Amino acid sequence: MATSDQKTTSVGRLPIGRLVSVYVLEVRVQCLELLRTPGFTIPTLLFPLMFYVFFAVVLTFSPTAPTYLLATYTVFGLMGPSLYGFGVGLANERESGALRLKQTTPMPVSAYLLARIATALMFGMIIVAGLFLIGAFAANVTLYRWQWLGLAGVALTTVIPFCALGFALGAWIKAQAAVAIVNAIYLPMAFLSGLWIPIAILPSYLQDLAVFFPSYHQAQLALKVIDMDEGSSAIIHILVIGIYTLVFLIVAVVGFRRVMRR
Amino acid sequence: MPVANRIVVRTLTYVLLAAVVFAGILLLLPQPDGTVETKSSSIPEGSFAVVDAKVFDGFEFLTEHDVWVEEGRIRAVGPNLDLPPDLPRVDGRDRTLLPGLVDSHVHSYNSTLRDAVRFGVTTVLDQFTDPRLVQLQRSARETITRGDQADLFSAGMLATARGGHGTQFGVPVVTIDEPQDALNWVRDRKAEGSDWIKIIIEDGTLFGGELATLNQATVAALISAAHDEDLLAVAHVSKLEHALMAVELGIDGLVHVWIDELIDENQAAGIAESNVFVVPTLSVMATIGDRSMASELRKSAGDTPLSPMQHQTLDSTFEVADVADSTNTNNIAIENVRRLRAAGVRLIAGTDAPNPGTASGLSLHGEFRLLMRSGLTVREVLTAATSAGVDVFGIEDRGRIAPGLLADLLLVDGDLEIEIGNSTQVVATWKDGYPIDRNAGVLPDAVAPAAPDETLIADFENGIAANFGVGWQPTTDQIAGGASTAELSAKDGSLVVDGSINRGAAYPWAGAIFYPGAGPMQPVDFSDRTSLRFRVRGDGRNYVVMLFGATPAATIPPSVPFTASTEWTVVEIPLASFRTPNPSIIGGLAFVAQAPPVGVFRFELDDLEIIP
Repeated sequence: MATSDQKTTSVGRLPIGRLVSVYVLEVRVQCLELLRTPGFTIPTLLFPLMFYVFFAVVLTFSPTAPTYLLATYTVFGLMGPSLYGFGVGLANERESGALRLKQTTPMPVSAYLLARIATALMFGMIIVAGLFLIGAFAANVTLYRWQWLGLAGVALTTVIPFCALGFALGAWIKAQAAVAIVNAIYLPMAFLSGLWIPIAILPSYLQDLAVFFPSYHQAQLALKVIDMDEGSSAIIHILVIGIYTLVFLIVAVVGFRRVMRR
Repeated sequence: MPVANRIVVRTLTYVLLAAVVFAGILLLLPQPDGTVETKSSSIPEGSFAVVDAKVFDGFEFLTEHDVWVEEGRIRAVGPNLDLPPDLPRVDGRDRTLLPGLVDSHVHSYNSTLRDAVRFGVTTVLDQFTDPRLVQLQRSARETITRGDQADLFSAGMLATARGGHGTQFGVPVVTIDEPQDALNWVRDRKAEGSDWIKIIIEDGTLFGGELATLNQATVAALISAAHDEDLLAVAHVSKLEHALMAVELGIDGLVHVWIDELIDENQAAGIAESNVFVVPTLSVMATIGDRSMASELRKSAGDTPLSPMQHQTLDSTFEVADVADSTNTNNIAIENVRRLRAAGVRLIAGTDAPNPGTASGLSLHGEFRLLMRSGLTVREVLTAATSAGVDVFGIEDRGRIAPGLLADLLLVDGDLEIEIGNSTQVVATWKDGYPIDRNAGVLPDAVAPAAPDETLIADFENGIAANFGVGWQPTTDQIAGGASTAELSAKDGSLVVDGSINRGAAYPWAGAIFYPGAGPMQPVDFSDRTSLRFRVRGDGRNYVVMLFGATPAATIPPSVPFTASTEWTVVEIPLASFRTPNPSIIGGLAFVAQAPPVGVFRFELDDLEIIP
């Protein structure tokens, strides 16, 4: 019995303890990989904090601005690691052959994907914590404890639609173009969804456009926690985000299957 | 495999650690006031507790004690008190809490009582002032009230010979010449409100002149008359022979130490045996001895500003004080205090402020240093400046931290037992449980005229006019390029604000603003008021009150939110909840809707008051 188990193991089935180890190690590998990529860490970690300081702390036009922007910048902060990890990371590994190499190990594919999500969450926590500390101590934002927790929670769920989008991008786009494409999608989307400056400031035709972006709906959910959203029902926002996630996942899985089968 | 396992365990540890740190940060973030422990920036009043402080109770130091204040009085003192969960708390860690200080030799006029309390001196024992001031201030010390002055106990008028010391200050003095006048003189003082009798024994010879002074028979008659009327008698002396004479005649206390010669052991023992207390007033002796404490005091003032009067008194010197041997005066005074202490004489801290070279309040902290130089321990110095002074003068409701006593408290940074120089690092002073604004009357904000007595701003029974000030005007983001609108009208005895928040400005707003001053944004001083109160109803939307202070709005005006529900509700906002250093100085109060959301809004205001 023991020997046959051992045998099975070598062709791809691991005992549960070892399986957990593989998941954990993959998270570690991906975290380290991203940490050692300054092209990733600097923009994703620094930009949300820097922009928040510029638009909420330095240029405060309204007493409510730091609070409002805290919600939108947490969403913006989570978009970065979600999109970069998947979009750029996957595209690179796909083309460099690293993905193929991993495919030959007993590691399940789910470990690879979950590690990408976990990594995005880890970086997301750092960004959220940084934003909250700046908001609280440089811009005097005070929220009830449930609001701080709720805002952090909603912000972290941003990984759901944006890891899916990143996954879809990473499965299809060329590694060389990956950073440019990810930036070209996520920076304008963040701006047009009212993540950098409040949606009410944007010209009305841009405001009408915002509803088409998942980031707008994610931001509205975050703003709902602090009662500063535009007033639509949370169900609608969740529904829209859900549909987008589903579409992204379908696109991703089709592309990913194609890659893995190759 | 063990290597891989170790890496797995390490990775899991890091992830767990990150999650814990993240959760920790989330739980430590600031919450709106009222639901959390009071931060050091806002000082609670009335009922609150100082927790985990080093406490000097008037006699000794206690570590990690809580002090619970209820309605202006101390309710309980002890380690780990069982405090109500919603009681506001002040963090006492790394701080020392002591009874409000008592300066047992001052003179009161101009801003002295205010200056004293700004430096933690909550009670002064005055040794000569205008009796009318004593009457004026009497109710403040007998009731628990919010105030900005030290409580005053006083000898009132002093007993001196015609043309003697005390007659040169311009205050009319009823002099006394004959022993037979003593009893009537004392009775008159008692009727005037004197809390004890002060007798001048001063021939002026140390100060380069000669002054008429009371003879021995009159001093004796005054002392016995005071005792017949159940009053204490204290004496001003500058010479040892006069001190010994007063002790011989039955004086209760000496309110200066003598500076002509050193007391010997037997004489000191005699004073101790007679149970006579001494208030050395080394602070003023330092000025007389050309060792003015002024620059030392200025450096030690901490972040409490000096008033114009304090600056002036620190800068001045005695005009006629040509003491024969001035360089030695200081040393004689200090050595005499050292010998009195050794003999066991009860020593009381007093400064003789605001005499030249001193500053009311601040000088008591300087007196600490001089008493330390005379060999007193920290505990003895603080006892002399808290429990001892009120004890010898028979005042029972203060000077210690004990249940039932007035909540006159001083909270300073650091451990005073180790570093008494920290006594001016004031975190908070409470008088009758109310916090003292250490800047009151000193910083430029004070140029604002005081608010009218009327608390009601407007009830809108006769249109939108207000009872004072410029009154009501619409305010919108149009001044910032926006497109929001607001319209004010009076209807059925209330102010109706109709408007629309429109996109256009960066942060759209619209609503109504009230200017309390003679011109828009001209500040008015509402220091004697604590809360803004109004009735409101409306469309259920959230609004804010914005407070515009004295300084032009270069920074964001502080704001407090309120909701206009469909039913009339009363909203009361403590002025202290506006995040600004001095929320009592008000140039404008705006009641506005803000974006988001955009769209029309409507609310009604009524019965607007700024109440004490």
